[in-house]
Parts: sequence; C-alpha cells; structure tokens
Amino acid sequence: MSAPETAVGGAEAGRATGGRERILVVSPYPPVRDGIGAYALQQVRSLRRQGHHVEVLSPTPSAAHHHADLRGPAGAAALARIGTGFDRVVVHLHPDVIYRLPPTAGARLGTGLAYGAAFRRLAHVELRVHEIDHRWADPSDPTSRATAFMLKGADLLTVHSEEQRSHLVDGFGVPGDRVHLVDHGADFAPRTTADRARARASLGLPPDDHVFLCIGFVQPHKGFDRAARAFVGLGGRGARLDVVGSARLGDQATRDHVAELRAIAAREPDVHLHLGFVSDEMFDRWIVAADTVVLPYRHIWSSSVAERAALFDRPVIATRVGGLAHQVERLPGAVLVDDNRGLARALAEAVGSPAEAATPSSWPGADGDDVRSTVQAEVRARAAAARGGLPVAGRGPTGDDAPSPSAPVRRLAPLRPPAPVSARPGVSAVKRLMHRLLAWELTPITDQVNSLQRATADALDRTAPPPDPHDDDADDQH
Amino acid sequence: MDARRIAFVPPRYGPDVVGGAEAVVRQVAHGLADRGWEVEVLTTCARDHYTWANVERPGPGLDRTASGAEVHVRRFPMVRDTPGEVRARVEAALATGDVPSLGEQEAWMNDGPRSPELFHHVLDEAERFRAVVVSPYLFWTTFAVGAIAPERTLLRPCLHDEPYARLELFEPLLTGSAGVWLQTDPELDLYRSISTPPAQTAVVGEGVPVPDRYDPEGFRRRHDLGDRPFVLYGGRREGAKGWEGLLDAFADAVRKEDLDLTLVTYGVGEVHAPPDLPGRVVDLGFVDDATRDDAVAAASAYLQPSALESFSRTVMEAWLAGTPVIANGAGDVVRWHIERSGAGLTYDDDVELEQALRFVAEAPDAAAALAAPGRDYVLDHYTWPATLDRMEATLDEWFPA
Repeated sequence: MSAPETAVGGAEAGRATGGRERILVVSPYPPVRDGIGAYALQQVRSLRRQGHHVEVLSPTPSAAHHHADLRGPAGAAALARIGTGFDRVVVHLHPDVIYRLPPTAGARLGTGLAYGAAFRRLAHVELRVHEIDHRWADPSDPTSRATAFMLKGADLLTVHSEEQRSHLVDGFGVPGDRVHLVDHGADFAPRTTADRARARASLGLPPDDHVFLCIGFVQPHKGFDRAARAFVGLGGRGARLDVVGSARLGDQATRDHVAELRAIAAREPDVHLHLGFVSDEMFDRWIVAADTVVLPYRHIWSSSVAERAALFDRPVIATRVGGLAHQVERLPGAVLVDDNRGLARALAEAVGSPAEAATPSSWPGADGDDVRSTVQAEVRARAAAARGGLPVAGRGPTGDDAPSPSAPVRRLAPLRPPAPVSARPGVSAVKRLMHRLLAWELTPITDQVNSLQRATADALDRTAPPPDPHDDDADDQH
Repeated sequence: MDARRIAFVPPRYGPDVVGGAEAVVRQVAHGLADRGWEVEVLTTCARDHYTWANVERPGPGLDRTASGAEVHVRRFPMVRDTPGEVRARVEAALATGDVPSLGEQEAWMNDGPRSPELFHHVLDEAERFRAVVVSPYLFWTTFAVGAIAPERTLLRPCLHDEPYARLELFEPLLTGSAGVWLQTDPELDLYRSISTPPAQTAVVGEGVPVPDRYDPEGFRRRHDLGDRPFVLYGGRREGAKGWEGLLDAFADAVRKEDLDLTLVTYGVGEVHAPPDLPGRVVDLGFVDDATRDDAVAAASAYLQPSALESFSRTVMEAWLAGTPVIANGAGDVVRWHIERSGAGLTYDDDVELEQALRFVAEAPDAAAALAAPGRDYVLDHYTWPATLDRMEATLDEWFPA
C-alpha cells in the first residue's frame, strides 16, 4: 500500500500542523553549487514562509547558520550537538555528506551506528533520502544492520518514488508507516522570465530546430553519452542535442567521461557540448529553450531536472531507472525507455522520424578504398579523444601502425585485488570477509596506482616528439 | 510585488563607508528614492572591509536623501568563523598564475566573512521587489544573494581585470543574472573577454554630483598649505589601489630636490609617509564631501595610480573641479576616459610618472589648460539625472511591473 503524498516542506505527516516549530535542515547549501543544496534551499524557503523558525547546518561553510564536517562518527556527534533543542531535524541524506569516501565497509559500520544513535537522541528526525545504495541492504553484508540501524533511527523518511520506498521498507526493514512519498517539485519556482524565443536567442540556438537537452552535472551515471549516441542520425533532420553542465568532480572517471563526450561532439555536428557552470537562471532558460529534455540516466533515485522540465511544460524522455519511472510517468508527454535502442527510437519519434531511422553509430562506411585504415584511424582518433584529446605520438595522420610511446604502459592491466574465490570449501567465504575488512585500506592504493599508470601513459604521449616525416627515408638508408 | 520597490544589496552601506562601488550604490538608492521608488538597502553591520567588524547596529534603520526621501536600511551581522586558510592558499595560487579547481574556488568564497541572516532575509523577501541589485561582484554578499532569485537579480559588477574576475566560480552570476548595469564601454569589453553578458546588459554609467561651489583657498588655509602646489590622491590607501607604488615614485622624484610638489591624500588605510620627507606627504584622513571637493579644486593634479578601476569617480570629481588627472596607463577604464576627454595624462612606469609630475609642477598654466575639457566631458556623460534616466529605462524594460 502506498503511503499518502504530502507536500514538500510539509513532509510533516504525523506532526502537529499550524504550530511554529524550530527546524534544523541539514544539507549542502548555497552558495556552494550542489543539486541537493538547491533543493534544500527551496524547502527552507517554503518552511520559513509557513512561519517556522528554520536554521541550516551544512557540511562546509556556506550561507547556512551552522557548518560542521558531517562525515563519520564525529559528524554524527556534531549533528547531535547542534540539533539539540530543535523540534525537528530534516536531514537531506546522501552518502557523500555523511560517509568518508569511498564508503567502505568500515565507514558504513561506524558511521551508520553513530548516526543511528544521534538520530535517536534528537527530538524528531526526518530523513529526506536522496540516495542510498540498496546493495548495502544485502543481509550477507555485515554492515547492513548498521545502515538499517541508522535509517530506523529516524522518525520519518521521505522519498520521491514508490521504488525508493520499497528499497527502504523491504531492503532495510524500515517500518512502512514511517516512509512517505513526497512530491519532488512542490517547492520549485521558475528562475527565468524568458519565453522560448528569447531563451533561444540568448543562447544562440536556432529558432526552429528541435532541441533535445541533457542538463546537469556531467557524470558517467547521468548517461549523457547515451543520449549523444542515440541522437546520431537525427542531426540532418532539423534536430540538435545540447549537453549542458559542469563536471563537478575531478576524478579520472569524470575526466574520461568528459573526454568521451568531447569526442562525440567533435564528430557529430549537431551534438553540442556546453561544459561549465550553469546558473539557476540559465538552467531554466535552457529548459525553456528546449523541445525535449532527455534524462538518459544509468542510475539515479530521482531527478530535479524532471521537475524543472515539468515546471515549464517540457516533455521528457527518461530511462526507467531508480525512481524515475514513478516520477516521470505522471508528467504529460513523458516517454520512458528501457535501453539505448529505446532511447534512440524515442528521440527519433520526438522529431517525427521513423523509429528505425536512427542509427546507433556513425562509424566510417565500408565503401572506401582501404576500409581497415579508415576504421583503424577512427578507432585511434576516438581513443585519443577519450584520453583527453591527446595526439597519439609516433603515428601519422592516417593512423599507421607505429606504436604509441605509451603503448607498453597502456598494455599493463589495471591493478585490482584478486577475486575472493577458491575451489576449497569455506575458503571463498573467508576470502570475501578479508576482502571486505581490508577494502578500506587497499582500495585507495589500487586507485592511486591505476591513476599513476594513466598519468604516465598520458605524459609519454604528451611529451613524445612528433613523427619525423623523413623517418622512412632514414630507414631506407640503412 | 510593489511595482516601484527595489532592493540594493551592497556589502557595506552608509556615509562613513569608503569605497567607490558602495558610495555609488548609496547615490543610486538616494536618486531612485527621490524619484518615488520605495528603496530598501539590505546590507551588513560592517563598515570596514578589512576587519568586517559588526560596527553598525543590526536591524532596520533609515537613511534620508538631501530632499528628505526615505531609504530603508536593514542591517545583518557578518559572521567570521572560518580560519581563512583556504582563502590564503587560493590567493597565493592566483598570485602565481595557478587556476584553483572549482571546489577550491567555492571554498575560497566561503572561507571568509559571510552573512547567513542577510541571505535568508533575501530568500524570504526577494519576490517583494521588482529587482534586487547586487554589487560589486567580488564580495560574498553579492555572490550568495545574487543566486537566490536570478530572475529578478540586477548585477552591477564593477569588473576589474584581475584574476578573481576570471574564476569559473563567477560564471553563474555573470551569465545568469536577469540584468546587468555596467559603467563604461571598457568594462563591457572586459566582461565579454571573461564571460557572456546576458542579453539584458546595458552601459548605464554612473552619476557624479556636481558641487555648487568650491573653496580652494579656504581649503589651503584650513590645512596650512599656503601656496604650496600639491597633487592629490583620495580613497583606499592600499596595494590593490596602487598607493604604495605611487608613494615610492613620488618620494623618489622629490628626493631629487627639484620637484616642488606636495602629495596630499585623504581616505582610509595606512599612509606610511617616508620619514626623510617631512611635510611632503600630508594625510587628511577621512574627509566630508565638501572638504574633498575643495581639495580637488585646490590641487595641481589628481593622481589615479590604480589599474583596477571600473569607473573612477574621483577622476570625474577632479575634472568637474577643473583639475587635470595623471593616471596609471595600465588601467583600461581610466585611460579610456582620458583618451575620450583629453583632460589628463597616463604613465606606464615611474619614470613617466615623474615626468608627468614635473609637468604639473613646472607648467601650471598648461596643466590647467589640459584639464579644461574634463568638466564638459563629465557633464555630457555622467550626471545623475542622465544616469538615473538610463537606469529607470532598463528597469521598466527588463522588469515589467
């Protein structure tokens, strides 16, 4: 049975209404740019307008009234100290805020227990669960009880989708009457006054093209590359895809992802990449300018972008992951897809093209004189772009077979701990336990070694001299 | 929303606040109040931008224009509860040409004085105003408040060509404000070189009050200056304004014993007059507007050593008083003013500065003639009525009631 919907900011089912409460909201907060922070800001505004006394605790200095490092047991202690005296504490829960990264088994154990205890000390705790890994509920995971202890320490948990609710109730054992659905976009207000024509003019977009938009922080799990690949073939039909947002994280995975997006945009003339910080106003202006907002996420719990698209009556195409289906299916004109093929079909149908018109790839055709060289050059060009646009030193423009100086380093397999398996009975379990116990120490080391390998390879390509056009002659002389 | 209600959010506000950008905010607030706007100023309790000490009393207050119109002022406390280590580290990196990461930039912005109560007041009240004017760009108040209601935020950035302006951190403010007021064409050029101005961007300039009268003789008498020729510098005495360099160059020129000039200065900040030149550097401290005007009229030249001016109101005040300007040629804006008006000289190094000083000391009549077109230049371009007309026109166009 589904729990009743409550208004965001009201999220106070079971609480007295009409009274003026002292509320502490715990969240990343502006002017630090953060999606959850922007969401929390709107909730704070709504609560203040309802007459409540609201203060904010943020994990870093900001416009919040309080700030404290909220990671780990010390963070839980800080929350318990600051939250004492408030009638209600609303915690915007995201693993990045409360766990030291990566959230290893040890971190989940210590942090979960500490936060569970802290929640029980405070008057009334509401968790606005933006994300939590449902795999942590695995009963074979020795830390699952700690995570469940934390979640069950809250008086109320609010989520944006029925699927999220099921994760909490069925996975972590949180009593169903404590998990409520809330409307993700209830507090959202428009941030631009521009109409479609003015928005397009200000962004340099053609007035009549069908504009598909992917917007938000550029991260692999957002899957903007999926949309770009699915879009291939639609460019010549009066459509374009704009990918807008900043790469907030500087880790290797994000850098690789950005390089891949650049490579796609470089070879597809109607895929446009706009990397950079986007203000709230410009964010909305992009949505107003778009015809269709594309949410090709690989995994996510819920999407603020979907709500902002709804705010401006822009249809969305979204993948059926996390709670997106629940969130999107109520929006007029929304299309849900299950895979890349479905995504390509939905994009094509949005511009009125036959579904089969979209092709998943724009690799060179097989009609040239030397197909292998062409495809080989394309393979190498894409690989180079994926490495950050580096030229592949030692190779001619046609991609001849001279090895890259970095080739020996790139051939080294990434360092990974051995799989915890064994043919002997019982040993696998012991190895898995050891694996979990040691992961917090080993993971950072292996990550660093792999990063060094990539950096070394990049440096070799970057510093290698360009190919000498006379090398062939020199070889001939010997 | 009241059709004629507007908010200004400067980091500091009041007659005792030294700072060109802040002074102009007050004058615009007064000008619009005189024209019937309901003006609120939302600011901090700080008066000094070094200490950010909460000197003024928090809460509502009233500031009246000369004609008696009301400007409602609401002050909020500044909070300083961070060690400033990130701020120092990032500034050191910027000084060496490094570009900190976005995360470091955010930490830098928040690792200093902040005003959560001001932020939340605007969060509560922004929709009551037709526009919320934030200025200048570099301060936390502008950065934080400017993001609350971008659809009604009017940015008056006062951009300088400095590393801070090129931080990615400011992109949302620079690209995403509903409207932008700029002071000069060079500021717009700089804006375009840094970012993409919103479509609703206008060079509105700023106004300079035109004094009814000057009393240079009275000024000399009151400050025991006799007939000594002097050059003048007013404002913040600090490195970012070029004060130390100016003082060193002036002292070197004077030490040659044939430069008959005194340097008179008013404003805030340490002067550090060279002890071996007694009486050749005169510090008036903080002065009222009338004293400032009289000093400018009595000076042989006004010195503008700063390369980071977005308008330079003091240069306009000098020209109104018939005084030539000697300015650092590295400053695009002041050089642009001088080239357009023809009422001053620029220098690119200390040697050129010394020669310019010699010019005003040795050829006072020629220096006065040099200044002559300056007054018309200011009256043609930078009077308050014309500036306020432009501002009101943009408000009507960009923020329809």
